[in-house]
Amino acid sequence: MSGQAADPTQGGYAIEAVDIVKNFGSLNVLRGVSIALRRGEVTAVVGDNGAGKSTFMKTLSGENIPDAGELRIGGRAVAFRSTQDAQRYGIETVYQDLALGPDLSIPANIFLGRELLQPGLRGRLGMIDRRRMLDESHAVLVELGVRIKSYRAATQSLSGGQRQGVAIARALKWARHAILLDEPTAALGARQRDMVYEAIRKSAARSLAVLLISHDLPQVLELADRIIVMRQGRAVANVLPAQVSVRDIVDIMLGAREAA
Amino acid sequence: MSPNPPASPEPATPTAETPTMSDASLPAGSHGHRLGVLEATAFWMFVILIGLVAGFTLISPNFVFLSVNNLFTIALNTAQLALLAAGMTFLLGARQMDLSVGSNVVLASVLAGKTITALAGTPDEVAMGDYPNLALAIAAGTAVAFLSGALFGAVNGVLVTRFRLSSFLVTLATTAIGLGMALVITHGANVPDIPRALQTGFAVRRVLGGVPMPVVIVAGVLAVLWFVLAKTRFGAHTLAIGSSPEAARRAGIPVDRHVLSLFVLMGCLSAAAAMLDISRFATTNISGHQTDALQAIAASVIGGTSLFGGVASMSGTVIGALIPVVLATGLVIMRVDAFYQLIVVGIIVIVAVAIDQKNRQRMSR
Repeated sequence: MSGQAADPTQGGYAIEAVDIVKNFGSLNVLRGVSIALRRGEVTAVVGDNGAGKSTFMKTLSGENIPDAGELRIGGRAVAFRSTQDAQRYGIETVYQDLALGPDLSIPANIFLGRELLQPGLRGRLGMIDRRRMLDESHAVLVELGVRIKSYRAATQSLSGGQRQGVAIARALKWARHAILLDEPTAALGARQRDMVYEAIRKSAARSLAVLLISHDLPQVLELADRIIVMRQGRAVANVLPAQVSVRDIVDIMLGAREAA
Repeated sequence: MSPNPPASPEPATPTAETPTMSDASLPAGSHGHRLGVLEATAFWMFVILIGLVAGFTLISPNFVFLSVNNLFTIALNTAQLALLAAGMTFLLGARQMDLSVGSNVVLASVLAGKTITALAGTPDEVAMGDYPNLALAIAAGTAVAFLSGALFGAVNGVLVTRFRLSSFLVTLATTAIGLGMALVITHGANVPDIPRALQTGFAVRRVLGGVPMPVVIVAGVLAVLWFVLAKTRFGAHTLAIGSSPEAARRAGIPVDRHVLSLFVLMGCLSAAAAMLDISRFATTNISGHQTDALQAIAASVIGGTSLFGGVASMSGTVIGALIPVVLATGLVIMRVDAFYQLIVVGIIVIVAVAIDQKNRQRMSR
């Protein structure tokens, strides 16, 4: 058991999950998971199907309420009852389905549910400040290195990589502590995957904690700063990519070897 | 890949930054421009509308079709449908629909008519056309109409949001319930003796140099609804819900509350249409609103609003509401059986839906 027991100084941790337990009926999906996410680091959580990766992520995103255990943000205990709670604490999720409105423009998606209003009376009438939303969307996408021709186009007319870029840009725009990504490059070609990698690294460079869930172990070794292996509802290893190979990780995932 | 539609209002690229990473999967100039396509649907329907007006004007004796009087009559005849279609545009934009608007109009008009005739004077006075309490009766009748309309809409909205039933089925059912209630209340007979003052003082009254008063009011309502849909957060949330209810929910938009409010809005607009109806004709029209919902949906769809949600245009809806009325009026002036209008409108709806579907497939390839 790689005790992710909180660093007593706690300086570098954006989020700490301590002994998280989650049961679905008689199924013990999470059996005391302790994982801490450092600021500025891409932390990958890997594991076989059913190891509890997605369930753990949903605990951080507010979608699942844990049965036991504690979440701490900046050292303070918090409890999420909804995804909105997590968002309020500055934790943003990039869902596997991206959760974008296909008919909406890029700014409308990045500001979905958080539209900017115009100043003064116009704002009180509910008028949206599309100019400012466009400018800010443009700024964050350029920062991520996502190139898009038309910001007014419907999001469904973009390529898969661009859509992923928009979803990450939205998370980056609103996250203050952490971004959670669920299989972000599952359905992308090589060049688009590079673009998304770049965007993920730049998110971490903003001093955010980035949690990455992926099946793609070569990808994880390339992208992550730290790899946590889950097996049967527990975090069983906490390794640095430089120290391990894909083979090592598979062995740990399957229980053939316990890691340091 | 087709080129950008001719109606694209502006070049699409707002700012050309140096790309840091190119994206090979998107050939230059091929990106679909959804807003442009929407404009294109409304644009082409506008062309059709202008073509109809021009054609009927040239054919009509002494060009009477283009006379100010005829145009105001067309506007007046469009007013009721435009109100219903505007509400339908919001609902379709949010991926909902309301098939019960016709029943809502009938029930609201029956209740308003009953209230007005009951309060305006004694039964004998009312039967003689004498209304001692006219102002009070009309005020109360209007309030009852809006209460009934809003409540009808709220029932639809609650059934859809709380019980997770499809709006198609819910409003199909409430169509029957609403009409049934109206028939029970009236024993199947229209409410007679609605004061002519509503006609002379409102429905056919000309203001601002000859514009029918209902046209002024409806134009104002439509302008407000256009503003809300196109410019405000409420409108943005409406389309976000229609585009992806799940994404909207995860983004913290109160989806159920919003959808409920859209059904209530539709109910209020139905009540307004009901008041306009009994004012114009001084009687209720129990058997006359069976196709209201379909006409309202047709007007929205003709104007570029998508049946699949996420895309809606209020100006398109106004054009879509005008086309059938212009057709009917023109055919009457040409002394052709006006029922041909139904056939032509049906064909236009099919064309509009086909365009919508094709755009959608092209988009999401």
